Amino acid sequence: MPGAIHQIKTIAKWEIKRFVGTMSGEILPIAIVLFVALIIASGFAQQSGIHLQDDMYTIGSDESITALITSGDNRFSVYKVQSGVSPEQGGFDLVLSRNAIYASPEDKGLAALTAFERDYSKYKISLYNREEDLFAAYPLWIEEEYIKSEIDFIATQSGQRAIAPPNPSVKPYPDTRPVTIPTPSSQIEVSREDLRTDLISGENTDSRVSRYAEVLASSDTTSKFKTPAQLSPPLPFDSIILIFVFIFPLYFTSQFFMMSIMNERIERSGETLLSTPVKSWVIILGKGLPYFLMMLVIAVILTVFIDASLMILLPVLPVILFFLSSALIIGMISRSFKELSFISIFFSTIATSYIFFPSIFANIHVVSLISPLTLIIYEIQGDGFTLFDYIYSTSLFFLTSAVIFYLAAKNFNEERLFNHHKLMPRMMEFIESVISKKWTKLSLFGISICTIPFVFMAQLMLLVLLFNFPMPYSIILLLFFAAFIEEFAKSIGIYTLISKRPDYLTWKNVVLGSVAIAAGFLFGEKLLLFATLAEISDSIFGAVLFASLQVLWLPLSLHFIGILTTASILKAGGRKFYLPALIISTVVHSLYNLYFILGWVG
Amino acid sequence: MNTKNSRIIAKKELKSLMNEKTIVLAILLQLFIAMFSSFLLVGLASMYNPDSISRYSNIQYPVAYTGEPSDVLTYLRDSNDFVVYEMDLSTAVAALKERKLSAVLWIPNVEPDADDPIKITLYTIQNDIQSSIVNVKLKEILVKYEDRLREIRSDRLTQTPVTIIIPATNPSSDFYEFVYGLLIPMLVFMPAIISGALIIDLITEEYQQNTLETLMSTPVRFTEMIWGKIAACFILVPIQAAGWLLLLMANGIAIKGFVPILLHVSAGSLFLILVGALTALKYRERTNAQFIFSIVIVVLMLFVLAIPMNTANILVRLSVGSIGQEHWLFLILMISAVAILSYITTHYAKRVRMKFV
Repeated sequence: MPGAIHQIKTIAKWEIKRFVGTMSGEILPIAIVLFVALIIASGFAQQSGIHLQDDMYTIGSDESITALITSGDNRFSVYKVQSGVSPEQGGFDLVLSRNAIYASPEDKGLAALTAFERDYSKYKISLYNREEDLFAAYPLWIEEEYIKSEIDFIATQSGQRAIAPPNPSVKPYPDTRPVTIPTPSSQIEVSREDLRTDLISGENTDSRVSRYAEVLASSDTTSKFKTPAQLSPPLPFDSIILIFVFIFPLYFTSQFFMMSIMNERIERSGETLLSTPVKSWVIILGKGLPYFLMMLVIAVILTVFIDASLMILLPVLPVILFFLSSALIIGMISRSFKELSFISIFFSTIATSYIFFPSIFANIHVVSLISPLTLIIYEIQGDGFTLFDYIYSTSLFFLTSAVIFYLAAKNFNEERLFNHHKLMPRMMEFIESVISKKWTKLSLFGISICTIPFVFMAQLMLLVLLFNFPMPYSIILLLFFAAFIEEFAKSIGIYTLISKRPDYLTWKNVVLGSVAIAAGFLFGEKLLLFATLAEISDSIFGAVLFASLQVLWLPLSLHFIGILTTASILKAGGRKFYLPALIISTVVHSLYNLYFILGWVG
Repeated sequence: MNTKNSRIIAKKELKSLMNEKTIVLAILLQLFIAMFSSFLLVGLASMYNPDSISRYSNIQYPVAYTGEPSDVLTYLRDSNDFVVYEMDLSTAVAALKERKLSAVLWIPNVEPDADDPIKITLYTIQNDIQSSIVNVKLKEILVKYEDRLREIRSDRLTQTPVTIIIPATNPSSDFYEFVYGLLIPMLVFMPAIISGALIIDLITEEYQQNTLETLMSTPVRFTEMIWGKIAACFILVPIQAAGWLLLLMANGIAIKGFVPILLHVSAGSLFLILVGALTALKYRERTNAQFIFSIVIVVLMLFVLAIPMNTANILVRLSVGSIGQEHWLFLILMISAVAILSYITTHYAKRVRMKFV
């Protein structure tokens, strides 16, 4: 072991030398110039605003007050018209005439009307905020108290209700003895001027950026007391911007690692190292270490820069590992630069949105905790997170990174690195390398377990995408695609065997292999659910995704029948029947889910 | 320069792109980003505007009213969204804990025309989406009450805002602004940025895979090869952009200036591709070239978006039809910029070629 550590250190040193060699000289001065330009550009953009939707709408007006209302909003171009002109006559989206606004009946007119209405209320707010008697302008204040419910979020996702329609004549009565709640004070413990400052600061927090946000939430307020207009749950947009500050530099740095691996293959510079008795995982760790440290340093600098607690490095860590491991495997499988670019952009977009999406629901829904970034938001807000939260939101990242590292280490050899096979065969070679000749069924069992984190990630992504569809369809599509992903994941091992070792797959082995895969899948699902997703699986979407968990033999038989269908069709028809085989097993899987979850059949 | 040679190179590159199926990934990526942003803006917006989804309108939420009587009680009773129970605070909060209620309101004993504000305490369930929806519904009631109180206290206000009668608006019209003001410029420019990155890969690959020498032994000249690659990357942009626009149109989203949009996108994308080509020729190595190019892109985008009448803004206005003939002038400006950059690229390629020999 000390020997390995020493080797890792040496390789890391070489890697740093190589990296500095390529980066310095011509690149450094221009990079500095560009960074300065970047700062100037963002300053300029902040000053001048983003002019994307300028003059989208036209408004005809017979009065000068229009300017008062739309002054900060360059979506409108204002024209002077005579009184009594209708929007259709003048060819305008809106016409303001004699203190009333008229919109053209088209979609555009209605959209312009909504925009105008928001501007109008902003205008009113800016007047009220400056009233001498603030409590005449804002006579009503709300203090929100959050109650933790023991029955946590059963079927409340996407507005579904767990309870029957309320009966107006019968008062609901709690089952347990109520605890006495102290009468809330009727006083606002914050001074009038503090409230005013807060209101005014919320007024124009960069109106152009927040215009995209205002669709979603009213102005963000830090105060405990809110006016009714501030009541909708504020989305943590500041924090989300901070997240981009973190994710992009980290992603960029991981790209250097990816290129280092790729260059090794192109220039065959790695060959000498591979011919030495140094173990492959030592080489990978050695090469990865400098980038890991670099990412860590960047994260520390950013944390200090935004003046946040260093605790946020904890949730950043699994993200770094995840980026590094994916950079490693992509660098190893791509044949050309084009492939490298596309696969890495594609993969990183999906990964970033997986990280980014749940964090939008921070403070709104427990589901947000599946992303480590929610923990960062909590930490920045000053709420902090518990050890359980940490395990809950980062375990998937640690697991997937570990699986990928293992796969890469197993394949980091001359034969894999320097051949020019196509993408799909290459991936299969990678998988084949982890299927043992002697313990084939055990390997299938293991592969099955290792696919689980990826399956969950993919299924959670589905959730995001299918939100776009109206309710009954989204559930049905989710059901179908979730089943498809599971069937696909289960079939990976069998498909590889069919193409690489067709002799092995006798009918007996088809059945036994299917048992191994089904068992592995079920075991993995159980394992991970215990660790992390127990809460999500309680919701309606969770019920669909992880339906097969109530009784043990039922899901086992389901997974078995699914994979057996695929395997048998592949065995009988050969590889060209892969897609039909997957679709048929997906249909079988979906029908099972429909039957048992939604009880639609019978 | 022999255009035939460039054509051969372009064809070869396009063919290899098709073979690798990487372009499929690129298109999937764009689709994914489009769906994701639509989820972000439209999906979330409808969640906060429950009225935009009709099936929510018949749901009634049970709320408890505690404390002193006020107009809020009347408003809640009149509303179709709520079933109100007058209860005592402790029982109500306990019922809320068991999810037998959606929210609990406590109203203090303060006169509507008092000097002090009225502070209502609102109890809701933590970390719960349903609470967010109930909040949005309660907000309507509370805003109504605020208006009423403001009216009572109006003699203490010094400034009266201009009254404008605004007809009822439709919250789903947010969708319009999202599609035209964000989605369309994003979808048509994404292929341009992808092509800019692609040209770097195509050029640096020749250097790093050592295929350049072989290529140079053929009658193809260096500049012809570069232009062939540029052409291959360029041709993909209008095709993809047109594809997206047609797809949107097939979904009932009317797009006004189809041809001018494509012309503007083509000019803009050629500009980006040329910047990419120049970067690649300068560094001849993918890591550095991509690194520099991505920063350049961000800087360029920030600058361009901060200028009024930028290409993206022109695209938005063309698609909704609120721009006159003046956009042709900007197209000509853009084309001249592209022409200058093409000239620089050709000359720079020649110089680099000389160095290479």
